[in-house]
Amino acid sequence: MDWNVIVVSLPLLWKGLLTSLNLTAVSIAFSFPLGCLVAMGRLSHRPWLSNTCASFVHVFRSNPLILILFWFYFLMPMIIGSAINDLTSLIVTFVIFFSAYFAEIVRSGIQSVGTRQMQAGLSSGLTHVQTMRHIIMPQAIRAMLPALTTQCIIVFQGTTVAYIIGYNELLHSASMIAERTVRPIELYLTVAVIYFVVCYSGSLLARRFEKRTYS
Amino acid sequence: MTTPIVQIQNVSLTFDQFVALDKVSLDVHVGQCTVICGPSGSGKSTLLRCINGLERFQSGDVLVDGTSLRQCRDLPKLRLNIGMVFQHFELYPHMTVLDNITLAPIKAKKLPKAEAQALAWHYLERVGIADQAGKFPGHLSGGQQQRAAIARALALQPKVMLFDEPTSALDPEMISEVLYVMRDLAKDDGMTMLVVTHEMGFARKVADDMIFMDSGRIIEHSSVEEFFDMPKAVRTKEFLNKILTKF
Repeated sequence: MDWNVIVVSLPLLWKGLLTSLNLTAVSIAFSFPLGCLVAMGRLSHRPWLSNTCASFVHVFRSNPLILILFWFYFLMPMIIGSAINDLTSLIVTFVIFFSAYFAEIVRSGIQSVGTRQMQAGLSSGLTHVQTMRHIIMPQAIRAMLPALTTQCIIVFQGTTVAYIIGYNELLHSASMIAERTVRPIELYLTVAVIYFVVCYSGSLLARRFEKRTYS
Repeated sequence: MTTPIVQIQNVSLTFDQFVALDKVSLDVHVGQCTVICGPSGSGKSTLLRCINGLERFQSGDVLVDGTSLRQCRDLPKLRLNIGMVFQHFELYPHMTVLDNITLAPIKAKKLPKAEAQALAWHYLERVGIADQAGKFPGHLSGGQQQRAAIARALALQPKVMLFDEPTSALDPEMISEVLYVMRDLAKDDGMTMLVVTHEMGFARKVADDMIFMDSGRIIEHSSVEEFFDMPKAVRTKEFLNKILTKF
Protein backbone atom coordinates (compact mmCIF):
# COMPACT_ATOMS: atom_id res chain seq x y z
CA MET A 1 0.00 0.00 0.00
CA ASP A 2 1.21 3.45 -0.82
CA TRP A 3 -0.95 6.09 0.80
CA ASN A 4 1.22 8.86 -0.52
CA VAL A 5 -0.66 8.63 -3.80
CA ILE A 6 -3.81 9.70 -1.97
CA VAL A 7 -2.14 12.71 -0.41
CA VAL A 8 -0.89 13.80 -3.81
CA SER A 9 -4.25 13.32 -5.50
CA LEU A 10 -6.31 14.92 -2.73
CA PRO A 11 -6.89 18.18 -4.66
CA LEU A 12 -8.30 16.21 -7.62
CA LEU A 13 -10.47 14.03 -5.41
CA TRP A 14 -11.71 17.12 -3.58
CA LYS A 15 -12.65 18.67 -6.93
CA GLY A 16 -14.45 15.45 -7.88
CA LEU A 17 -16.38 15.45 -4.62
CA LEU A 18 -17.43 19.06 -5.16
CA THR A 19 -18.59 18.20 -8.67
CA SER A 20 -20.64 15.29 -7.31
CA LEU A 21 -22.15 17.49 -4.60
CA ASN A 22 -22.93 20.19 -7.15
CA LEU A 23 -24.64 17.71 -9.45
CA THR A 24 -26.62 16.46 -6.45
CA ALA A 25 -27.64 19.94 -5.35
CA VAL A 26 -28.74 21.08 -8.79
CA SER A 27 -30.61 17.82 -9.40
CA ILE A 28 -32.48 18.11 -6.11
CA ALA A 29 -33.14 21.83 -6.58
CA PHE A 30 -35.05 21.07 -9.78
CA SER A 31 -36.38 17.55 -9.26
CA PHE A 32 -37.97 18.23 -5.86
CA PRO A 33 -40.18 21.13 -7.05
CA LEU A 34 -41.01 19.16 -10.21
CA GLY A 35 -41.85 16.17 -8.01
CA CYS A 36 -44.17 18.37 -5.91
CA LEU A 37 -46.00 19.48 -9.04
CA VAL A 38 -46.31 15.90 -10.28
CA ALA A 39 -47.60 14.82 -6.85
CA MET A 40 -50.25 17.56 -6.87
CA GLY A 41 -51.17 16.47 -10.39
CA ARG A 42 -51.57 12.87 -9.28
CA LEU A 43 -53.88 13.94 -6.47
CA SER A 44 -55.98 16.08 -8.80
CA HIS A 45 -59.61 15.24 -9.45
CA ARG A 46 -59.13 15.78 -13.18
CA PRO A 47 -58.56 12.30 -14.65
CA TRP A 48 -56.44 13.47 -17.60
CA LEU A 49 -54.04 15.24 -15.23
CA SER A 50 -53.79 12.52 -12.59
CA ASN A 51 -53.39 9.82 -15.25
CA THR A 52 -50.66 11.75 -17.04
CA CYS A 53 -48.75 12.31 -13.81
CA ALA A 54 -49.21 8.69 -12.74
CA SER A 55 -47.84 7.48 -16.10
CA PHE A 56 -44.86 9.79 -15.75
CA VAL A 57 -44.08 8.34 -12.33
CA HIS A 58 -44.55 4.74 -13.44
CA VAL A 59 -42.44 5.06 -16.60
CA PHE A 60 -39.44 6.61 -14.88
CA ARG A 61 -39.60 4.47 -11.76
CA SER A 62 -39.70 1.34 -13.90
CA ASN A 63 -36.49 2.10 -15.79
CA PRO A 64 -32.89 2.09 -14.61
CA LEU A 65 -31.24 5.48 -14.29
CA ILE A 66 -28.44 4.45 -16.64
CA LEU A 67 -30.89 3.69 -19.44
CA ILE A 68 -32.51 7.11 -19.13
CA LEU A 69 -29.07 8.68 -19.37
CA PHE A 70 -28.50 6.65 -22.55
CA TRP A 71 -31.65 8.14 -23.95
CA PHE A 72 -30.71 11.71 -23.24
CA TYR A 73 -27.03 11.34 -24.08
CA PHE A 74 -26.90 8.99 -27.07
CA LEU A 75 -30.38 8.74 -28.54
CA MET A 76 -31.79 12.24 -28.12
CA PRO A 77 -29.00 13.82 -30.21
CA MET A 78 -29.80 11.35 -33.00
CA ILE A 79 -33.45 12.26 -32.85
CA ILE A 80 -33.07 16.03 -32.69
CA GLY A 81 -30.01 16.02 -34.92
CA SER A 82 -27.65 18.03 -32.75
CA ALA A 83 -25.36 17.17 -29.85
CA ILE A 84 -26.34 17.81 -26.28
CA ASN A 85 -23.49 18.65 -23.93
CA ASP A 86 -22.56 16.30 -21.11
CA LEU A 87 -23.75 18.42 -18.28
CA THR A 88 -27.12 19.23 -19.83
CA SER A 89 -27.97 15.61 -20.54
CA LEU A 90 -26.87 14.62 -17.03
CA ILE A 91 -28.97 17.27 -15.34
CA VAL A 92 -32.02 16.58 -17.49
CA THR A 93 -31.70 12.85 -16.75
CA PHE A 94 -31.32 13.33 -13.01
CA VAL A 95 -34.09 15.90 -12.74
CA ILE A 96 -36.61 13.81 -14.63
CA PHE A 97 -35.65 10.49 -13.07
CA PHE A 98 -35.53 11.66 -9.46
CA SER A 99 -38.61 13.86 -9.73
CA ALA A 100 -40.60 10.65 -10.18
CA TYR A 101 -39.31 9.40 -6.83
CA PHE A 102 -39.82 12.74 -5.09
CA ALA A 103 -43.36 12.80 -6.48
CA GLU A 104 -44.16 9.51 -4.76
CA ILE A 105 -42.72 10.69 -1.44
CA VAL A 106 -44.66 13.96 -1.57
CA ARG A 107 -47.85 12.21 -2.61
CA SER A 108 -47.72 9.72 0.24
CA GLY A 109 -46.79 12.53 2.63
CA ILE A 110 -49.85 14.55 1.68
CA GLN A 111 -52.05 11.48 1.81
CA SER A 112 -50.72 10.55 5.24
CA VAL A 113 -52.27 13.72 6.66
CA GLY A 114 -55.70 12.51 5.61
CA THR A 115 -58.83 14.02 4.19
CA ARG A 116 -60.38 14.69 7.59
CA GLN A 117 -57.86 17.42 8.35
CA MET A 118 -58.66 18.93 4.98
CA GLN A 119 -62.37 18.89 5.83
CA ALA A 120 -61.69 20.44 9.23
CA GLY A 121 -59.86 23.29 7.52
CA LEU A 122 -62.49 23.77 4.83
CA SER A 123 -65.34 23.65 7.33
CA SER A 124 -63.77 26.53 9.26
CA GLY A 125 -64.05 28.79 6.22
CA LEU A 126 -60.49 28.46 4.94
CA THR A 127 -60.05 28.09 1.20
CA HIS A 128 -58.52 24.98 -0.35
CA VAL A 129 -55.19 26.75 -0.85
CA GLN A 130 -55.14 28.12 2.71
CA THR A 131 -55.92 24.68 4.11
CA MET A 132 -53.11 23.16 2.04
CA ARG A 133 -50.68 25.86 3.11
CA HIS A 134 -51.44 26.10 6.84
CA ILE A 135 -52.77 22.65 7.74
CA ILE A 136 -51.83 19.93 5.26
CA MET A 137 -48.34 20.88 4.04
CA PRO A 138 -46.73 21.58 7.44
CA GLN A 139 -47.80 18.13 8.61
CA ALA A 140 -46.97 16.47 5.28
CA ILE A 141 -43.45 17.91 5.18
CA ARG A 142 -42.85 16.77 8.75
CA ALA A 143 -43.98 13.27 7.74
CA MET A 144 -41.88 13.29 4.56
CA LEU A 145 -38.59 14.55 6.02
CA PRO A 146 -36.99 11.16 6.73
CA ALA A 147 -37.90 9.80 3.29
CA LEU A 148 -36.80 13.04 1.59
CA THR A 149 -33.43 12.95 3.31
CA THR A 150 -32.93 9.32 2.31
CA GLN A 151 -33.88 10.17 -1.27
CA CYS A 152 -31.27 12.95 -1.33
CA ILE A 153 -28.64 10.38 -0.36
CA ILE A 154 -29.82 8.19 -3.24
CA VAL A 155 -29.51 11.15 -5.62
CA PHE A 156 -25.93 11.69 -4.41
CA GLN A 157 -25.11 8.04 -5.06
CA GLY A 158 -26.95 8.21 -8.38
CA THR A 159 -24.59 10.91 -9.65
CA THR A 160 -21.96 8.17 -10.09
CA VAL A 161 -23.84 7.20 -13.24
CA ALA A 162 -22.12 10.21 -14.82
CA TYR A 163 -19.05 7.94 -14.86
CA ILE A 164 -20.24 6.17 -18.01
CA ILE A 165 -20.22 9.32 -20.09
CA GLY A 166 -16.84 10.29 -18.68
CA TYR A 167 -18.00 13.24 -16.61
CA ASN A 168 -15.48 14.14 -13.92
CA GLU A 169 -17.42 13.55 -10.73
CA LEU A 170 -15.83 11.83 -7.73
CA LEU A 171 -15.90 8.23 -8.96
CA HIS A 172 -14.63 9.08 -12.43
CA SER A 173 -11.81 11.26 -11.05
CA ALA A 174 -10.77 8.43 -8.76
CA SER A 175 -10.73 5.86 -11.54
CA MET A 176 -8.62 8.17 -13.73
CA ILE A 177 -6.09 8.59 -10.96
CA ALA A 178 -6.18 4.86 -10.24
CA GLU A 179 -5.37 4.07 -13.86
CA ARG A 180 -2.60 6.61 -14.06
CA THR A 181 -0.92 5.65 -10.77
CA VAL A 182 -1.81 1.95 -10.87
CA ARG A 183 -2.99 2.20 -7.27
CA PRO A 184 -6.66 1.07 -7.57
CA ILE A 185 -6.97 -0.41 -4.08
CA GLU A 186 -5.88 2.76 -2.29
CA LEU A 187 -8.05 4.98 -4.47
CA TYR A 188 -11.22 2.93 -4.43
CA LEU A 189 -10.87 2.46 -0.67
CA THR A 190 -10.56 6.20 -0.20
CA VAL A 191 -13.52 6.90 -2.43
CA ALA A 192 -15.55 4.32 -0.53
CA VAL A 193 -14.72 6.10 2.73
CA ILE A 194 -15.74 9.47 1.27
CA TYR A 195 -19.09 8.14 0.01
CA PHE A 196 -19.67 6.44 3.35
CA VAL A 197 -19.00 9.59 5.37
CA VAL A 198 -21.33 11.73 3.24
CA CYS A 199 -24.14 9.18 2.99
CA TYR A 200 -23.96 7.95 6.56
CA SER A 201 -24.13 11.45 7.99
CA GLY A 202 -27.16 11.93 5.75
CA SER A 203 -28.89 8.90 7.19
CA LEU A 204 -28.07 9.99 10.74
CA LEU A 205 -29.85 13.24 9.90
CA ALA A 206 -32.82 11.29 8.52
CA ARG A 207 -33.00 9.29 11.74
CA ARG A 208 -33.10 12.47 13.80
CA PHE A 209 -36.08 13.68 11.78
CA GLU A 210 -37.91 10.44 12.51
CA LYS A 211 -37.80 10.97 16.25
CA ARG A 212 -39.33 14.43 16.29
CA THR A 213 -42.91 14.75 17.44
CA TYR A 214 -45.17 17.72 18.01
CA SER A 215 -44.45 19.37 21.33
CA MET B 1 -92.80 31.62 12.76
CA THR B 2 -89.69 33.22 11.29
CA THR B 3 -87.82 31.79 8.33
CA PRO B 4 -85.78 28.71 9.33
CA ILE B 5 -82.03 29.34 9.46
CA VAL B 6 -81.34 25.98 7.84
CA GLN B 7 -83.71 24.68 5.19
CA ILE B 8 -83.01 21.29 3.69
CA GLN B 9 -85.21 20.77 0.68
CA ASN B 10 -85.59 17.38 -0.96
CA VAL B 11 -81.91 16.59 -0.84
CA SER B 12 -80.77 13.36 -2.49
CA LEU B 13 -77.23 12.05 -2.64
CA THR B 14 -75.88 8.79 -4.04
CA PHE B 15 -72.34 7.40 -3.92
CA ASP B 16 -72.04 5.18 -6.98
CA GLN B 17 -74.97 2.80 -6.37
CA PHE B 18 -75.46 3.53 -2.69
CA VAL B 19 -78.25 5.92 -1.79
CA ALA B 20 -76.90 7.98 1.11
CA LEU B 21 -79.73 10.50 1.25
CA ASP B 22 -83.15 10.01 -0.26
CA LYS B 23 -85.23 13.19 -0.65
CA VAL B 24 -84.54 14.54 2.82
CA SER B 25 -86.30 17.71 3.91
CA LEU B 26 -85.78 19.44 7.24
CA ASP B 27 -86.15 22.93 8.69
CA VAL B 28 -84.15 24.15 11.65
CA HIS B 29 -85.17 27.36 13.40
CA VAL B 30 -82.96 29.81 15.23
CA GLY B 31 -82.19 28.67 18.77
CA GLN B 32 -83.36 25.14 18.16
CA CYS B 33 -81.36 22.08 19.16
CA THR B 34 -82.07 19.16 16.85
CA VAL B 35 -80.70 15.73 17.67
CA ILE B 36 -80.33 13.22 14.86
CA CYS B 37 -79.95 9.52 15.59
CA GLY B 38 -80.14 6.31 13.64
CA PRO B 39 -78.10 3.23 12.77
CA SER B 40 -74.68 3.64 11.17
CA GLY B 41 -74.85 4.18 7.45
CA SER B 42 -78.27 5.80 7.73
CA GLY B 43 -77.01 9.13 6.37
CA LYS B 44 -76.85 11.21 9.57
CA SER B 45 -73.30 12.43 9.08
CA THR B 46 -73.79 12.86 5.36
CA LEU B 47 -76.78 15.09 6.05
CA LEU B 48 -74.71 17.30 8.37
CA ARG B 49 -71.94 17.52 5.80
CA CYS B 50 -74.40 18.64 3.15
CA ILE B 51 -75.25 21.66 5.26
CA ASN B 52 -71.76 23.14 5.02
CA GLY B 53 -71.05 21.90 1.53
CA LEU B 54 -68.47 19.27 2.43
CA GLU B 55 -70.66 16.82 0.56
CA ARG B 56 -72.19 17.60 -2.84
CA PHE B 57 -75.77 16.42 -3.24
CA GLN B 58 -77.18 15.58 -6.66
CA SER B 59 -80.65 17.04 -6.27
CA GLY B 60 -82.57 19.32 -3.97
CA ASP B 61 -81.09 22.31 -2.19
CA VAL B 62 -79.92 23.50 1.20
CA LEU B 63 -80.44 27.09 2.32
CA VAL B 64 -78.36 28.45 5.17
CA ASP B 65 -79.53 31.82 6.40
CA GLY B 66 -81.23 32.31 3.05
CA THR B 67 -78.19 31.42 0.93
CA SER B 68 -78.59 28.51 -1.44
CA LEU B 69 -75.70 26.05 -1.39
CA ARG B 70 -76.46 25.01 -4.93
CA GLN B 71 -75.95 28.55 -6.21
CA CYS B 72 -73.28 29.54 -3.71
CA ARG B 73 -70.14 30.85 -5.42
CA ASP B 74 -68.23 31.47 -2.20
CA LEU B 75 -68.43 28.39 0.00
CA PRO B 76 -65.63 29.49 2.38
CA LYS B 77 -67.61 32.62 3.25
CA LEU B 78 -70.79 30.65 3.80
CA ARG B 79 -68.93 28.19 6.04
CA LEU B 80 -67.93 31.01 8.40
CA ASN B 81 -71.56 30.93 9.55
CA ILE B 82 -71.43 27.24 10.35
CA GLY B 83 -69.23 25.73 13.03
CA MET B 84 -68.49 22.03 12.82
CA VAL B 85 -67.29 19.58 15.46
CA PHE B 86 -66.02 16.17 14.39
CA GLN B 87 -66.01 12.73 15.94
CA HIS B 88 -62.21 12.62 16.00
CA PHE B 89 -61.76 16.29 16.97
CA GLU B 90 -59.53 17.07 13.98
CA LEU B 91 -57.43 19.57 15.87
CA TYR B 92 -54.30 20.53 13.94
CA PRO B 93 -51.53 18.57 15.70
CA HIS B 94 -48.73 20.91 14.63
CA MET B 95 -50.21 23.99 16.31
CA THR B 96 -50.90 24.93 19.91
CA VAL B 97 -54.49 24.95 21.06
CA LEU B 98 -54.53 28.75 20.88
CA ASP B 99 -53.22 28.75 17.29
CA ASN B 100 -55.76 26.09 16.36
CA ILE B 101 -58.50 28.48 17.42
CA THR B 102 -57.12 31.68 15.92
CA LEU B 103 -56.15 30.24 12.50
CA ALA B 104 -59.49 30.56 10.75
CA PRO B 105 -60.48 33.90 12.35
CA ILE B 106 -57.16 35.38 11.19
CA LYS B 107 -56.87 33.76 7.77
CA ALA B 108 -60.48 33.40 6.71
CA LYS B 109 -62.22 36.20 8.61
CA LYS B 110 -59.21 38.54 8.38
CA LEU B 111 -59.47 39.53 12.03
CA PRO B 112 -56.44 41.25 13.55
CA LYS B 113 -54.34 38.79 15.53
CA ALA B 114 -54.99 40.45 18.90
CA GLU B 115 -58.74 40.37 18.35
CA ALA B 116 -58.65 36.72 17.29
CA GLN B 117 -56.65 35.85 20.39
CA ALA B 118 -59.06 37.69 22.65
CA LEU B 119 -61.88 35.68 21.08
CA ALA B 120 -59.92 32.47 21.51
CA TRP B 121 -59.31 33.16 25.21
CA HIS B 122 -62.98 33.96 25.70
CA TYR B 123 -64.10 30.64 24.24
CA LEU B 124 -61.33 28.68 25.96
CA GLU B 125 -62.64 30.06 29.28
CA ARG B 126 -66.09 29.17 28.12
CA VAL B 127 -65.25 25.49 27.58
CA GLY B 128 -63.07 25.45 30.69
CA ILE B 129 -59.61 24.76 29.28
CA ALA B 130 -57.95 28.19 29.26
CA ASP B 131 -55.03 26.64 31.15
CA GLN B 132 -54.30 24.38 28.15
CA ALA B 133 -54.01 27.16 25.56
CA GLY B 134 -50.26 26.88 25.05
CA LYS B 135 -50.17 23.10 24.74
CA PHE B 136 -50.20 20.99 21.61
CA PRO B 137 -53.34 18.89 21.08
CA GLY B 138 -51.41 15.64 21.58
CA HIS B 139 -50.82 16.59 25.22
CA LEU B 140 -54.52 17.01 26.03
CA SER B 141 -57.00 14.35 27.11
CA GLY B 142 -59.72 13.36 24.65
CA GLY B 143 -62.33 15.38 26.47
CA GLN B 144 -60.09 18.45 26.53
CA GLN B 145 -59.34 18.03 22.84
CA GLN B 146 -62.99 17.91 21.95
CA ARG B 147 -63.68 21.00 24.08
CA ALA B 148 -60.83 22.76 22.29
CA ALA B 149 -62.42 21.77 18.99
CA ILE B 150 -65.73 23.22 20.16
CA ALA B 151 -63.97 26.46 21.13
CA ARG B 152 -62.36 26.52 17.70
CA ALA B 153 -65.74 26.24 16.00
CA LEU B 154 -67.29 28.86 18.30
CA ALA B 155 -64.51 31.35 17.61
CA LEU B 156 -65.96 31.82 14.14
CA GLN B 157 -69.05 33.11 15.93
CA PRO B 158 -71.25 30.94 13.73
CA LYS B 159 -75.01 31.06 13.48
CA VAL B 160 -75.31 27.29 13.44
CA MET B 161 -73.23 24.55 15.06
CA LEU B 162 -73.00 21.04 13.62
CA PHE B 163 -71.87 18.21 15.90
CA ASP B 164 -70.97 14.94 14.19
CA GLU B 165 -70.92 12.23 16.88
CA PRO B 166 -68.88 14.47 19.20
CA THR B 167 -68.57 11.93 22.01
CA SER B 168 -68.29 8.63 20.11
CA ALA B 169 -64.50 8.57 20.17
CA LEU B 170 -64.18 9.52 23.83
CA ASP B 171 -63.40 7.42 26.87
CA PRO B 172 -66.59 7.01 28.93
CA GLU B 173 -65.43 9.23 31.79
CA MET B 174 -64.84 12.14 29.44
CA ILE B 175 -68.17 12.13 27.68
CA SER B 176 -70.01 14.19 30.27
CA GLU B 177 -67.58 17.12 30.26
CA VAL B 178 -68.20 17.56 26.54
CA LEU B 179 -71.94 17.10 26.84
CA TYR B 180 -72.09 19.75 29.61
CA VAL B 181 -70.38 22.26 27.33
CA MET B 182 -72.88 21.46 24.59
CA ARG B 183 -75.82 21.68 26.96
CA ASP B 184 -74.76 25.11 28.19
CA LEU B 185 -74.31 26.22 24.63
CA ALA B 186 -77.87 25.23 23.78
CA LYS B 187 -79.53 26.35 27.02
CA ASP B 188 -77.58 29.50 27.98
CA ASP B 189 -76.55 30.85 24.59
CA GLY B 190 -79.54 29.61 22.64
CA MET B 191 -77.17 28.38 19.93
CA THR B 192 -78.80 26.73 16.95
CA MET B 193 -77.45 23.19 16.94
CA LEU B 194 -77.70 20.03 14.91
CA VAL B 195 -76.26 17.10 16.82
CA VAL B 196 -75.71 13.59 15.55
CA THR B 197 -75.40 11.49 18.68
CA HIS B 198 -76.59 8.39 20.47
CA GLU B 199 -76.41 10.04 23.89
CA MET B 200 -80.11 9.75 24.60
CA GLY B 201 -79.80 11.24 28.08
CA PHE B 202 -78.41 14.39 26.50
CA ALA B 203 -81.11 14.34 23.83
CA ARG B 204 -83.91 14.07 26.38
CA LYS B 205 -82.64 17.03 28.42
CA VAL B 206 -81.37 19.36 25.73
CA ALA B 207 -83.02 18.65 22.38
CA ASP B 208 -86.08 20.48 21.13
CA ASP B 209 -86.55 18.22 18.13
CA MET B 210 -85.64 14.62 17.52
CA ILE B 211 -84.97 13.00 14.20
CA PHE B 212 -84.58 9.33 13.45
CA MET B 213 -82.96 8.37 10.16
CA ASP B 214 -82.66 5.05 8.38
CA SER B 215 -81.45 4.17 4.87
CA GLY B 216 -81.00 7.79 3.91
CA ARG B 217 -84.49 8.86 4.92
CA ILE B 218 -85.97 10.73 7.84
CA ILE B 219 -88.25 8.13 9.37
CA GLU B 220 -89.40 10.16 12.32
CA HIS B 221 -89.30 13.84 13.19
CA SER B 222 -90.98 14.80 16.41
CA SER B 223 -90.66 16.62 19.70
CA VAL B 224 -88.55 15.04 22.43
CA GLU B 225 -91.50 13.92 24.53
CA GLU B 226 -93.28 12.30 21.61
CA PHE B 227 -90.11 10.69 20.35
CA PHE B 228 -89.24 8.91 23.57
CA ASP B 229 -92.71 8.27 24.97
CA MET B 230 -94.74 7.40 21.91
CA PRO B 231 -92.66 7.05 18.76
CA LYS B 232 -94.80 6.75 15.65
CA ALA B 233 -92.66 4.53 13.47
CA VAL B 234 -92.02 0.87 14.25
CA ARG B 235 -88.42 1.24 13.14
CA THR B 236 -87.89 4.02 15.71
CA LYS B 237 -89.31 1.84 18.48
CA GLU B 238 -87.01 -1.01 17.54
CA PHE B 239 -83.99 1.28 17.46
CA LEU B 240 -84.82 2.92 20.78
CA ASN B 241 -85.38 -0.47 22.38
CA LYS B 242 -81.97 -1.58 21.22
CA ILE B 243 -79.98 1.43 22.33
CA LEU B 244 -81.88 2.00 25.59
CA THR B 245 -81.60 -1.63 26.67
CA LYS B 246 -79.80 -1.95 29.97
CA PHE B 247 -78.44 -5.24 31.22
